[in-house]
Amino acid sequence: MSENGGPMIVLEDVSKWFGDFQALKGVDLSVDRQEVVVVCGPSGSGKSTMIRCINRLEKHDRGRIVVDGIELSDDLRDIQEVRREVGMVFQQFNLFPHMTVLENVTLAPRQVRRSPKQQAREKAMELLERVRIPEQANKYPGQLSGGQQQRAAIARALAMGPKIMLFDEPTSALDPEMIKEVLEVMEELAKSGMTMIVVSHEMGFARAVADRMAFMAEGEIVEVGPPEHFFTNPQEERTKQFLAQIL
Amino acid sequence: MATRVDTLEPLPSPEPERPSARRLSPSEWARENLFGSKLDAVLTVAFALLLAWALYRVGRFVFADARWEVIDRNITNLMVARFPRDELWRIWAALFVLAASLGFGAGAAATSRRRDLEEGRAAPPGRTEVLRRAGPVVALVAVLLWFAGSLEATILTLGVAAVAAGAYLGGRRVRWRAARFAPIVLGGIVIAFLIVAAFGGVGWDNWGGLLLTLFLAVAGILISFPLGVLLALGRRSSLPAVRVVCVAYIELVRGVPLIALLFMGAFMIGFFLPPGVDRPSLVTRALIALVLFTAAYVAEIVRGGLQSVPRAQIEAAQALGLSPLRVTGLIVLPQALRNVIPGLVGQFISLYKDTSLVFIVGLTDLLGVAENITKQPDFLAQGLIVETLLFASVIYWTGSYWMSRESQRLERRLGLGER
Repeated sequence: MSENGGPMIVLEDVSKWFGDFQALKGVDLSVDRQEVVVVCGPSGSGKSTMIRCINRLEKHDRGRIVVDGIELSDDLRDIQEVRREVGMVFQQFNLFPHMTVLENVTLAPRQVRRSPKQQAREKAMELLERVRIPEQANKYPGQLSGGQQQRAAIARALAMGPKIMLFDEPTSALDPEMIKEVLEVMEELAKSGMTMIVVSHEMGFARAVADRMAFMAEGEIVEVGPPEHFFTNPQEERTKQFLAQIL
Repeated sequence: MATRVDTLEPLPSPEPERPSARRLSPSEWARENLFGSKLDAVLTVAFALLLAWALYRVGRFVFADARWEVIDRNITNLMVARFPRDELWRIWAALFVLAASLGFGAGAAATSRRRDLEEGRAAPPGRTEVLRRAGPVVALVAVLLWFAGSLEATILTLGVAAVAAGAYLGGRRVRWRAARFAPIVLGGIVIAFLIVAAFGGVGWDNWGGLLLTLFLAVAGILISFPLGVLLALGRRSSLPAVRVVCVAYIELVRGVPLIALLFMGAFMIGFFLPPGVDRPSLVTRALIALVLFTAAYVAEIVRGGLQSVPRAQIEAAQALGLSPLRVTGLIVLPQALRNVIPGLVGQFISLYKDTSLVFIVGLTDLLGVAENITKQPDFLAQGLIVETLLFASVIYWTGSYWMSRESQRLERRLGLGER
């Protein structure tokens, strides 16, 4: 465990290949404690691959990744240690369909942290209140709307008490009227001081919440900067083109 | 809260009249479905005649022509074959223990389901559910008792039924999770087995008839299922040695007829044992062959289920920090197995009926007895094989049908909530 003060996440010269295709080309990024970084970029630019490397859903082939003072290596214990501190929310929610919402949320605390049942339930209900779906606790994911499922998935990720939350296009699979309810929950989370990396094209959300914006293209981080500069005065040609397309 | 719009009349509620929901009287139903057109009418009459003729022939055979004396006189042989008659009390005692533990388990399971019901996670049972589920088995037992024609057996059977009913009601009163009552059910099965086989009892080498058939089927299912799951997981293992062994095993066994495996088990197993080790008994060898055979098929069915679980499910579980063992046990397997219930139950029904093949290595299971009794001096060369095979078939059918229905129930129950 590292002392407070150092950066929460450090990526140094991280590269990743899928066969002959190089998905990440020497990515450098440092994220401070309580910082919110929103990553955007065209599809196939390596955004998802980058955040999936941070909790080792993908193994990086070169470079270093240090999460809260723990360097990711092949050591399974280090990987488990990092995963316990990093919560992840997926585009397709990926709730466990054979468990109720409450069981989804209590699963990791019960199995990994060995919390007593009653304590895990109380904590889970607290989180479900926070994402505003306590009344759905005993339903199965298939009975919920997309927005409710994604909020349940956020509660599930928070149940382990992570220091970092990764969001991989959390609103891209949602119907338009449900995007807002999910973004509101994420905004509250950001205000509570959570360290977050969010892959998203919700630029309104990014303006309101991001401490820094990062633009990725072709496996590289092209430009990083505070949102006010990023949106009004981008430096790189590729950033300008991308922003022109999506804004 | 809905916003109020003053200028619009509220829509009429769609509830009151839906034409399709109207109940038809039987004659209306028949006119609509059976005699809708000329062709309909012709087909209806033709099939009704065919059905009536078939029913008449079967009914005439069963109730008039068939000579059931061969069953009457051999009912005990059909049930247990050469099981010593002065040890039969052990079987009755085992039945009482089974009735108590299984009845209790069924009651407790129904209660845990009631809790799901209250929380809106299960469908309510139909009014006739108990009757539909127990019906075929009760009917079969009634037929067996009718053939036995023994007051003692009838009283004992009613006693078993009473114990089962009492245990069921007792089970309804506890609010236990499956993890708490499952050991009681398993313990009951083990105790029942020990009552028959241990403490000066009769080892399974002397079991026969329906007793042997059920033993081979139940033991075969209970052992081959976990073995098949392990083989399926092994086939997907990242360790090449494990994978190669599992693939080789599965492909070898699936390439050989069951009869060949049974013969190999019966006559060749000695070659594979180290010197000085006694050959296991014939029943054990047959059971091993059945288990090895079924496990290979179960493994492939389960592998299909494993492939049906999306990779994203595994990633979500890993991201939560679950260990590989827990990812498999808590996330992948439960979803994989529920997806392949129909295939698994089909395999187990196959196993149940394939136990009859042990006849060819010299064991007398139900079908073996059914064949043997037609060769008794009193019944020799009278063409009674039709009666005895029909009798055995009814028993096989009842068991298969029961498994099939229960698996459909399980599917419906597990499927609910996923949609």
